[in-house]
Amino acid sequence: MFSLQSKLSLDKWIANLLIIFMALMVLNVTWQVASRFIFQDPSSFTDELSRYLLIWVGMLGSAYVAGKNEHLAIDILINKLKGNAQIKLLMFIQFLILIFALFVMVLGGSNLVYITFMLGQKSATLQLPLSFIYGIIPFSGLLIIYYEIVTIIQLIKSLKKD
Amino acid sequence: MEIVSVLILVIAFLVLLGLGVPVAWSLGMSSVLTLLVTVAAFPAITTVAQRMAAGLDTFALLAIPFFIVAGELMNRGGIANRLIELAKAITGRLPGGLLHVNVVAAMLFGAIAGSAVAAASAMGGILGKRMEQEGYPKELGAAVNITSSTTGLIIPPSNVLIVFSLASGGVSVAALFVAGYIPGLLVGLMLMAVAAVMVKIKKIPAGESTSFKVLLEKFWKAVPSLFLLIVVIGGIVGGVFTATEASAIAVIYALGLSLFYRELKFKDLPAVLLKSAETTAVVTLLIATSMALSWVMSAEEIPQSISNSLLSLSDNIIVILILINLILLVVGAFMDMTPAVMIFTPIFLPVVTALGIDPVHFGIMMVLNLCIGLCTPPVGSILFIGVGIAQTSIEKVLKPLLPFFGAMIVALVLIMLFPEITLWLPRVFGLLK
Repeated sequence: MFSLQSKLSLDKWIANLLIIFMALMVLNVTWQVASRFIFQDPSSFTDELSRYLLIWVGMLGSAYVAGKNEHLAIDILINKLKGNAQIKLLMFIQFLILIFALFVMVLGGSNLVYITFMLGQKSATLQLPLSFIYGIIPFSGLLIIYYEIVTIIQLIKSLKKD
Repeated sequence: MEIVSVLILVIAFLVLLGLGVPVAWSLGMSSVLTLLVTVAAFPAITTVAQRMAAGLDTFALLAIPFFIVAGELMNRGGIANRLIELAKAITGRLPGGLLHVNVVAAMLFGAIAGSAVAAASAMGGILGKRMEQEGYPKELGAAVNITSSTTGLIIPPSNVLIVFSLASGGVSVAALFVAGYIPGLLVGLMLMAVAAVMVKIKKIPAGESTSFKVLLEKFWKAVPSLFLLIVVIGGIVGGVFTATEASAIAVIYALGLSLFYRELKFKDLPAVLLKSAETTAVVTLLIATSMALSWVMSAEEIPQSISNSLLSLSDNIIVILILINLILLVVGAFMDMTPAVMIFTPIFLPVVTALGIDPVHFGIMMVLNLCIGLCTPPVGSILFIGVGIAQTSIEKVLKPLLPFFGAMIVALVLIMLFPEITLWLPRVFGLLK
């Protein structure tokens, strides 16, 4: 389950979702412009839908990018260290991200979903439950935890080789 | 304000950053740690999660992914190439012509793509090889490429100005966009002036001159690409559509043009969308966690205390502006543009508006200031990309970079001292009083 192969196939799934969400976002706002200028009948749902799509792309994409280790970081210290010391520092960084994802995104995010669900909060025009929109936070949190575990396992393997 | 909270915030952030924890996560982690001083654990993590999501829930922010997609399409769809050809026809005949071509093309392309990273990698990749063939010093070419690609962040459309509009609580994007033109051109011209002096010193020969006929021909070829700017900026300034709608139109237009040029096929689109989604995610996570952090800071009343202590130092506009600029230069050296704008706008904007400075003027000044930080070590994303593409090292590029930094700082001082440079054009268009 935590092998590189399963990680890559998960990557593919997320990549496809991201492509679909991005395309929907573009079509959605294009429709907003078209409906206003061509059909003289401004659509009311597009503004809301595209905002929620951005939250989804942002959160899901963050997990995807975390899996590729491509979030901007200052790697001066990492590059100064060599061998096992470097690997241990990398493991520690991945561990910190895992803890953040677990506590803030999964636990805090779930609590947020729970609160909005209990209050029955719905979006203004589409009447979508906000708990559904916010559900992407704990979901992405779980993905990040998975990715960090995969990375840490790879790092441990490279430790043994020394 | 509790001094403990401030200490925890600053120390936690610097330590995490120094260890090499990605900037976005460092911002989120230090917000949680700071909140834990005054709030119980469970509400603290819930608040940070909520602030992150709420931070992204803004229609104006959507312009960012769209301009990213549009830039990606232009890069692959042959639009960047045509703009470089036009720039070559305009300035190629000057001594050291390729350096000037780089500046002009970066302004044209950066303006359309709205991303300095895209500009630096496109120009460095295409022009870098030419410069090497014609015997330009590699480091000089890299220095020009690095500094000139930041002009696209000031010349509209610019994603950073959208971030500033969000952080400032709603300064007009249209006014900011129009305000960016003259300062952006000023920076470009200053860089070209320094390049001309360097060319004299290094005795680089003149390039091939182009006939007027060729110039017209290149211009004609670039017209469809330039027309995109007129549609986008004209539409926003004329109030025909919002920045977000304009950015969606930019995507459709760039897509149409790239398919028409046959340099992009339908089957390339998923790759373009995925690349853009990744870039978008990097920026949005930075915005989300910066939003959480700036919420924590205002809950702890940190901005007010900084404002008060700044204003107690002096109430002279120039003194305060110089102080803020010095602080921002240091911040910019260590921090990327987006989190720096998100975090420091709410701190400094109230100070300068209290002294009667227009938020639009301040926004342009702040972005230009942070542009310098993008080109300086230890943290400078454009510096890293420019050096990487030119296959040289940061140590070697630093010396040729210095005069160009000088030019940017002179431009910054001029823009700081003379608000008219920034505010005249938006006033002409009736976007400001």
